[in-house]
Amino acid sequence: MTTTQVANALATGPVVRTQSEGTGPLAVRTAGLTKRFRSGQVAVDGIDLVVPRGSVYGFLGPNGSGKTTTIRMLLGLVRPTSGKAWLLGEPMPEAAGALLPRVGVLVEGPAFQPYLSGRANLARLDASDATADPRTARRRSEEALERVGLTAAAGKPYRQYSLGMKQRLGLAAALLRPRELLVLDEPTNGLDPQGTREVRHLVRELADAGTTVLVSSHLLTEIEQVCSHIGIMGRGRLLLQGERHELTGRGVASVAVTTSPHQVGTAAQVLTSLGLRDVVVDGPGLEAPLGDVAPERVSAALVHAGVDLVGLEVRRPSLEQLFVRLTGEGFDVAR
Amino acid sequence: MSPADVLDPPAPGSRAPAPVLVPQATVAHRGAWGRLLRSEMRLVFGRRRNIALLSGLAAVPLLLGVVLFVTQDSALGGQGPGFVGRVTGNGLFLVIAALFMCLPFLLPLTIGVASGDAIAGEAQAGTLRYLLAVPVSRTRLLAVKAVAVLTFVGAAVLAIALVALVTGAVLFGLSDITLLSGTTVPLADGLLRVAGVAAYVALSLTGLVAVGLFLSTLTEVPVGAMAATVVVAIVSAVLDTLPQLAVIHPALLTHHWLDVAEFLRVQVDWGVLGQGLAVQGAWVAIFGALAWSRFTTADVTS
Amino acid sequence: MTEQTVLPTTPRRSALRSRWTAPVAVAAVVAGAFLAPPLIASAGPADLPDVTPEQLLAAVAEAEPLPMSGTVVYTARLGLPEIPFAEVSGADPIALLGGSSTLRVWTDGTERSRVALLGSTSEYSVVRDGAEAWTYSSAEDAVVHYSLDEADQARYDALATDLRSGNVPELAGELPTPQEAARLALARAEEFSIVSLDAHTTVAGRDAYQVVVTPRTSATLVSRIVVAVDAETSTPLRVQTWSVQDTTTPALEIGFTDITLATPSDAILAFSAPAGASLKEVVVPLPDAPDGAEAHDGSLPDGLTITGSGWETVAQWVGLDVAALVAGDPAALTGLPGAERTIGSESAQELIEEFMPSDGSGHPGAMTLDTTALYDQLTVEVPEGLLLSSTLLNVLVTNDGRVLVGSVPAETLRGMA
Repeated sequence: MTTTQVANALATGPVVRTQSEGTGPLAVRTAGLTKRFRSGQVAVDGIDLVVPRGSVYGFLGPNGSGKTTTIRMLLGLVRPTSGKAWLLGEPMPEAAGALLPRVGVLVEGPAFQPYLSGRANLARLDASDATADPRTARRRSEEALERVGLTAAAGKPYRQYSLGMKQRLGLAAALLRPRELLVLDEPTNGLDPQGTREVRHLVRELADAGTTVLVSSHLLTEIEQVCSHIGIMGRGRLLLQGERHELTGRGVASVAVTTSPHQVGTAAQVLTSLGLRDVVVDGPGLEAPLGDVAPERVSAALVHAGVDLVGLEVRRPSLEQLFVRLTGEGFDVAR
Repeated sequence: MSPADVLDPPAPGSRAPAPVLVPQATVAHRGAWGRLLRSEMRLVFGRRRNIALLSGLAAVPLLLGVVLFVTQDSALGGQGPGFVGRVTGNGLFLVIAALFMCLPFLLPLTIGVASGDAIAGEAQAGTLRYLLAVPVSRTRLLAVKAVAVLTFVGAAVLAIALVALVTGAVLFGLSDITLLSGTTVPLADGLLRVAGVAAYVALSLTGLVAVGLFLSTLTEVPVGAMAATVVVAIVSAVLDTLPQLAVIHPALLTHHWLDVAEFLRVQVDWGVLGQGLAVQGAWVAIFGALAWSRFTTADVTS
Repeated sequence: MTEQTVLPTTPRRSALRSRWTAPVAVAAVVAGAFLAPPLIASAGPADLPDVTPEQLLAAVAEAEPLPMSGTVVYTARLGLPEIPFAEVSGADPIALLGGSSTLRVWTDGTERSRVALLGSTSEYSVVRDGAEAWTYSSAEDAVVHYSLDEADQARYDALATDLRSGNVPELAGELPTPQEAARLALARAEEFSIVSLDAHTTVAGRDAYQVVVTPRTSATLVSRIVVAVDAETSTPLRVQTWSVQDTTTPALEIGFTDITLATPSDAILAFSAPAGASLKEVVVPLPDAPDGAEAHDGSLPDGLTITGSGWETVAQWVGLDVAALVAGDPAALTGLPGAERTIGSESAQELIEEFMPSDGSGHPGAMTLDTTALYDQLTVEVPEGLLLSSTLLNVLVTNDGRVLVGSVPAETLRGMA
């Protein structure tokens, strides 16, 4: 092991625990979790989350779909009307005292005392943690600040921070000590594209080190690529959940062919002869559901028929299309 | 393990297997209470607005003393409500006059500000959800908040008393003190009695602190909690003046505040003072329990 | 899976409700703590040996004055028009006219005593030491020193100790005590009243007999006077004066709320005028006859006539400048030598003492109350003049300058005018 690796290990935190420590194989699990507010509004309606350990779970859904209320119930901030929740195999909120120090959180945006510096805010949170070692408090907080690139601004009062800096400080607070589970609610909110990339990088890095990450977002594309698992919320219900490639592979793929305009007709005949139906012609392009036909057969048949292949692509439906199909709702396009 | 690792100065835990670095998360460190409390104190006393509030309160006796000093030879000299008229004769009375002046409104306002900040302020800032997710148990957080608010209110009373004592000593001098009963007692005894006054005033405010904390758990708007706390004190004082409500007077939050005059009678009746403190204790118990019930069961949605 | 075995789904509502039981329980405990002691205290006195009213009166009369200290609560429900007591700054005897007042009493059982009327941030003290007395008002920082002239002092010193008591000089602004009120109520009770006993009671934690003094006549406003007498020491602990107009609460009540039978410390009984306070010296005459009760019968001051006897007594002054009196003019006061002593009826006399002390302030510069306004507010106009009407006493100031006072219905006074 090199020194660099040791440093990385310190910063990332060795998070993997052995099964013998009594924690279940799931990082988060809920059973019929429901929240009905006093107003009568059902914010979360009987959801069964399953987040395996070591996964990066993208918790997706439009604003107001119940993501944040679910996360608040997971953390014991909001009492479920019915249903149960377990984090790292322990029941919440009963086991909160011993359990939550192992969980780093960013809930509904960062929030700190505006007149304290970033550093002082982290010190305050650490001092609030009865299980945190006061002797290492300073080192851990400096490392967390370093990690989110906030060392230079750590002495400034929080109220002078930009939205992005606030978000970074929130992440630093979640990383104050090694965590087994990170719950990040809208971590990219307010960040510029560069910041968003950094957060994605951070999440990947943490996941590589073994931390389970539950990351919520209403901006699908921002986190879709780092997720190993996806859960989609809509109107308080968990519409879909599972491994990402499984979900995206579940839809019917189609083949899209681009050729020269005068060969479009020939190409369409070839596709039809292969047994593809519903061929749609659009300028020099054609698209048709693949069905059982292997893509290689399509390209070979086209070449054999003398069609100039400018492009050939196998298209699978994106998560967004999947979501729209499921709910009839769209994701917020812009932040 | 690389040779470089051996040659390097041993970083903490660098040679140990990684899991050893994980603090035993489930074990609370000794002194965690003290650490949280110190942090809370730094938060309360480090806030510029709170320091300004303390300074403002401390300025009351200074201002009062200077006004009385300037006007003492005029026709209005030696007059004024309560103990104000006696200040020019003995600086020790400035402590009592200043505390009496701050008691009806300024000290309740101070309690309102501090207790409003305690829970509602954290809720409004959103920091409450992060504290609870750290996690801090709600009971512990409430207790620490209560101690911090009480300390702040105690500091306010102390600031008024000390500034009044120094101002009174400089402007009017300290001398043997004439009690309400017409008996004159030595300065040392007088100082003790005035210290008793300050202590009783501080303890008389504990009930309102409990009420303020409870109100603070009901809202996410600290200004609302603050205003409600002040209103409680004022309404209590108003009810105390209605003869039709004489039956409930002894139970009122503010009814026994003026019993502090007991320290200035020839024989201090500790029973009277004890009764006043018992009533405060009752308010603390009831509203402390209410605050606890509310805070430990409320959904934190801010 | 382990998760499924942990805690079956519990009904959260009941958990939530159980949390709110905590403050309810605390409130119940607190209420119990505050209400239980009085309930226990009122559990009823222990059995006391039987006595006859006569034995009790004799015991009270013979009882040695004891050294003691205690707190006395005085409540007046005289049915007077609402008095702007807010105008009264500080403890002043005038506060005794209405509402509830707290007094502290210390006495060594002989010649030294201190009675203090407590204001919220003030105090009015009356300190007696033999033939000397002081009043001190903290609100005005004013001392009045009452003493005898040299000749009287010599006479006083010559008196035997047992004759001295009851022969102390009169002073304005006197404060009431249960003993004094009882002495007035019981002194000649059998002459005009029926004396009986009521059920035993407890006052200030002490078992007590209750003597009931009921006027034989129905032409008075007083329905009865109830005196609670300490079973052990025969010291009066409480006096309740009931009006015919209110059968549910006594019109006047004065009684100990706590009492300690021990000699107070010298520091409490001693008094010297504090530095800086205004000091007024008043030389008062020593009453002539040692057996004062009968003294005034033959020697009424000029302008004073007494009509009726006992409870029906009406006193009538002629030629008083009432307006000047209520304005606090000291010259008018000096025209009232010993006026308080001249009412035949015990209770009426007691009441006069309560009503007159507004003159106790004595020194016009320090008046804290607009007594003229108070006078206007307290009185109502009747064809014969101005009437001050209370549940126990009526005062009629006629248009021709006479003043009629008596514990009799207003109609009686108006008939005499």
